[in-house]
Amino acid sequence: MSDQTLQLEAVLKIHLLLVDDESEFKEVMQRHLSRMGIRLSVSECCLDALELLEAQPIDVVIMDMNMPGMDGIQCLRKVKERWPRTEVIILTGHASVKSGIEGMESGAFDYCLKPIDIQELIEKIELAAQKALINQEDDIP
Amino acid sequence: MTLLDRLLTLLRRLRRSATAPPSPGPEELHRQFIARSRSFRDLLTANANTLAAMAELETALRDGRTLSMTFIRARCTLVTVNVFKIIHHLNRMADGRYSELERAFSRLHRQIETILDGRRKPATGALILDLRQVGRAQADLTGEKMANLGEAGSIEGIRVPPGFVLTTAATGLFFQRNQLYPRINHIIQQMDIADLEDLHGKSGAIQELIRAAPMPPELETLLLDHFDRLAEARPGCRVAVRSSALGEDLGQASFAGLYHTELDVGRDTLLDACKAVLASKYTPRAISYRLAKGFRHEEIEMCIGVLTMVEATVSGICYTRSIGGRNDTLDLFCAPGTAKGIVDGTRATGHLLLERAPPHRIVRRLEAEEAIAPWLTDAEATTLAETGMRLEHHFGTPQDIEWSIDRDGRLYVLQSRPITAAALHAPVAAHPPPADDRLVLHGGVTGCGGAGCGAVCVVHGPEDMLRFPRRAVLVVRHPLPGWAPLLKRAAALVAETGSEAGHLATLSREFGLPALLALDRATELLADGDMVTVDATNRAVYRGRVEEALRRPVERTNPMDGSPLQRTLIEVLQLISPLNLTDPASPDFQAGRCRTLHDITRFCHEKSVIEMFEFGRRFRFAKGTAKRLRDTLPIEWWVVDLGGAFVPHYDLSRTDIDIADIACRPLQAIWAGMHGVPWEGPPVAGLRTMVAFLFHSALRDGLDPARTSALREKNYFLLSQKYCNLSARLGYHYAMIEAMLGDRPGDRYITFRFKGGAAGESQRVRRIELLAAVLDHFGYRIDRVGDALTARVERESEQVLLDRLKVLGYLVIHTRQLDLVMAEAGAERSYRDTFIQEIEDMLNHE
Repeated sequence: MSDQTLQLEAVLKIHLLLVDDESEFKEVMQRHLSRMGIRLSVSECCLDALELLEAQPIDVVIMDMNMPGMDGIQCLRKVKERWPRTEVIILTGHASVKSGIEGMESGAFDYCLKPIDIQELIEKIELAAQKALINQEDDIP
Repeated sequence: MTLLDRLLTLLRRLRRSATAPPSPGPEELHRQFIARSRSFRDLLTANANTLAAMAELETALRDGRTLSMTFIRARCTLVTVNVFKIIHHLNRMADGRYSELERAFSRLHRQIETILDGRRKPATGALILDLRQVGRAQADLTGEKMANLGEAGSIEGIRVPPGFVLTTAATGLFFQRNQLYPRINHIIQQMDIADLEDLHGKSGAIQELIRAAPMPPELETLLLDHFDRLAEARPGCRVAVRSSALGEDLGQASFAGLYHTELDVGRDTLLDACKAVLASKYTPRAISYRLAKGFRHEEIEMCIGVLTMVEATVSGICYTRSIGGRNDTLDLFCAPGTAKGIVDGTRATGHLLLERAPPHRIVRRLEAEEAIAPWLTDAEATTLAETGMRLEHHFGTPQDIEWSIDRDGRLYVLQSRPITAAALHAPVAAHPPPADDRLVLHGGVTGCGGAGCGAVCVVHGPEDMLRFPRRAVLVVRHPLPGWAPLLKRAAALVAETGSEAGHLATLSREFGLPALLALDRATELLADGDMVTVDATNRAVYRGRVEEALRRPVERTNPMDGSPLQRTLIEVLQLISPLNLTDPASPDFQAGRCRTLHDITRFCHEKSVIEMFEFGRRFRFAKGTAKRLRDTLPIEWWVVDLGGAFVPHYDLSRTDIDIADIACRPLQAIWAGMHGVPWEGPPVAGLRTMVAFLFHSALRDGLDPARTSALREKNYFLLSQKYCNLSARLGYHYAMIEAMLGDRPGDRYITFRFKGGAAGESQRVRRIELLAAVLDHFGYRIDRVGDALTARVERESEQVLLDRLKVLGYLVIHTRQLDLVMAEAGAERSYRDTFIQEIEDMLNHE
C-alpha cells in the first residue's frame, strides 16, 4: 500500500476551490490542476467563496489570507463552522506567527507561505484531499 | 476494491467503534493502530519541516547575506505552525495526555510574536522645532542628524544655518493620516529583493504613494509659518530640505547618502520637497541597503531638517581623524560650491592633511588638477581644523563634518556625526603596481582595499542597473549613491571620479567591496564584457584573471553584525533553537521543562515513538507483533511493523524474522552497514581504563556489567516500508536512528542521535568527536552538546540517503565500547582514518 497512490486517487475524487484575488496565480494553478484532471472552481473573495460552498459540496479550499472584503481568518472560521468536513489550506504572502496559529486553531488543514513551489502545493492538496475523503466517509470532521 | 476504499472502510469502522464499550477486538485494535500510524507519519513530517526551518534560521544568522525581516518572519511562522501540528498529532496519538505542552507552546509563540512585531512607540511632542531649541536630548524627536546639528550650534564659536525641524511626531502624523504604512508593508512583503526590476517597480510605487499623499492641513500651516519666519530674517531666502532619520545610529551602518536632499527650495515647493525627502526612504538604494544591513523599514523614522541655504564659495568634508589610518592627522576634502559634488563623487576634490594638535600644521596638500588657485587658504584650513577638533571634543568621538564657507568667509557647519568604523578602514596602497603587460589602468584612489575579478559592466544610468550581472565589475563615471543596490552583486567597483570621502566609498567599505576611484578614462578604456582583475589596494586594473592579486587575503565582514535585524533574529532564536531536553532518560525530560520550540519538538518526537510502541503494550497487542530479527551478532534486535514492513509471503505467526523478509528499505541499508565490515569485538582497554570503567559502572544505575539486562537489552526497530526508527541501548550508550524515505523532499531525511558511554567524560567526548568527524565527512550536519550528538541529513535522493544509512549502520556497531580506548588524546584520529577508509571501501564495493 503506497501513500502516494492513495493521495493520487483521493485528489481525483475531490472538488477543489481556490479563493484568491491574484489573477496570475489563479491562472497558473488552473493550468496545472486541470492538466492533472482535478475538478477546480475559483473565486475572487470570501463572500463569493461562501456562495459557491452553499451551492455545491466542496472538499478542499485553498484560501489567501489577504483579500478584499472579509478577513481570511473570519472566512476560515465560517467555512469550518458550516462545513466542518471541508479541509482548508491557507496560503498567504503575509507570514505572521499570529495568523498562522489562529489559522491552525480555527481548524485549517495547513498554513503555507507564498511564493510556494507548485509541486509542494499539489502535495499539500493531495494530503488534504485524502483527509477530506476520510471526513466524508466518516461523517465526522 | 481500491487501496483507498479499503483504508476508508477500515477507518470508518474504527470511527464507529469510538463510542463502543472497552476491550476492542484484535481487528479494531489494528485499525486504531493504523489511525495512530497516520498521526505518527504527519508528526514526523511536521518534525522534519520544523528542523529544516530552524536550520535555515541558524544558517542565516551565520552568513548574514540572506537576512531580511520577511525571511525571518516566514521561517518563524513555519517553525511555529509545524510545532503546533506536532503537539496536535502527539495528543491525537496519546488521547490528549500531553495537553500540558500547549501551555509552554502558547507562551513561546506569544513571545516570538512580540519580538517580531516590536515597534517603536508612536512619537508625541511638538510637530516642528526651531533648530535653536534642538539638542542631543531631542534626538528621539528630531533624528540624530538634526539633534547633532542643533547641539553643534549651541557650542561657542560654531555657526550653523538657521532652520527648523519637522519632528517624528509630524512625519508620523503624515504617514498615519494617509494610512501609508499598511499599504507600504503590503508592497514590501511581496517584493523580490534579488530582482532589481521588481525592486525598482515597487520602490517607484511606494514613492508615488508618499508624494501623492496630502500634507495634513495643520502641518502645512505650521511649515509655511516657520518658513516665513526664516524669510523675515533673510528676505528671499531659499532653503535646503534634508533628511534626518531616527534609528540610523544603531550598529555599524553609515546610511551614507541614502536619502534625498533638495537644495534651493522656495516657499512654493516646500511641501513637495518635504514629501520627496520622506519618499526617499523607499528609493531602491535605501531599501536594498536596509535589507543588506538588517534594518526594518518601520524602525527608521524620518524627520526633516529645513535649513537656510548657505551661498557657498567652497565646501567640503572634515574627518577629525584621518581615514587613511594615521592617528595624528585629520583630513579636509574640499571643492568649490556646495559639498554635494564631493559626497556624490561627481567633483574633483582637493585633499589636505593637517595635524590634529594645534596649531594644526598642514602636513600635505593635494590640489585637484583643475584648481587654478588653492580652493582653501591656509588660514581657512586651520580654522576648519580648530572647529573640527572642538566638535570632536564636545561629542567625545572623532567626527565626520560637512561644512561650507560663504562669500563673506563665514564658516558654517552643516552636519557633524561620528565617523563610522567603516570610514576608518580605508587602507593605504601597499605596493606600486608591477610592470605587467596585462595592466590596463593604474592610479586613482583606493576607496576600499582588496581585489576582485569579473566581467566589466559599464553603468551609465538606472536602465543599465537592471542588466547588471552578478559578480561583474561595476564601472561608472561618478560613484553616485544611486549605484548602492549594485554593491552587493558586484565583484569590484571602478569610478572615474570620487574620493575616499564619498558616500559610495563609505558604503563599499561597509560591504568589503574592492573599490578604485578617481581612475581617469575608466569608462572609455574598459568595455562591457572584458574580463578584468581590479586590484584596489594597489590601484591597478589588469586584463584577465590575475591570481597574485586575488590571493591576498581580504577581510570580509558580515554586514549584518550588530544590526537590529540580527538582534531580532538572535532574540527569537533564543526561544526557538536551544535544546535543553537532550537525555530522554533524565528526570528533567518532561513536558513542563520545555523552554524552547526545539525542546517541544524533541520531547514530542521521543514521546511519539514511545506512544507507537506502548500502544501495543497497553492493549496487549504486542504479543506476536514484535519479531526477533535473526542476527549473527550477539545483539537482540526486535522489529515492529507499522505497515508494509514485511514481505507479503512472511508468515505472521512466526516469532522471528530474517532480514530477507523485511521490505523496509531504510532498515536494509542500516543492516548492510552493520554487517558490511566484520566487527572485531570490543576493543582492548588498558588496565587503568578498566578500573575506571568498573568504578564508573558502580556509580551508575543500570551500568553494572554483572547485570545482563544492561548489556543485553532488547533493541527495537519500528518499521514501515519507507520509515525506520531504531532506539538502541548498545552496551552503555544510547543511539537512535530515524530515517524516512518518502516521495516528497520534505519526507526524506535521516536523524541520528548518540549519547552516553561507560568511560569518563573526556573519553566519551573523544568518541563523539570521532563520530562527528566521520559523519561530517559523509555529509551529515552535526550538532553537539557535551557527550550528546545529533546528526542530520535531509532532502537528498533515496540513493544518497541509503548510502548514508549504511554509514550509520557501520558506526553503530564499530563504535561500541570504543570510548574505553579513547584515553589518549588524539586516539580518535587514527580510528577516524580507518573508519572512513573502511566505509568508503564498503560503499564502493557495492
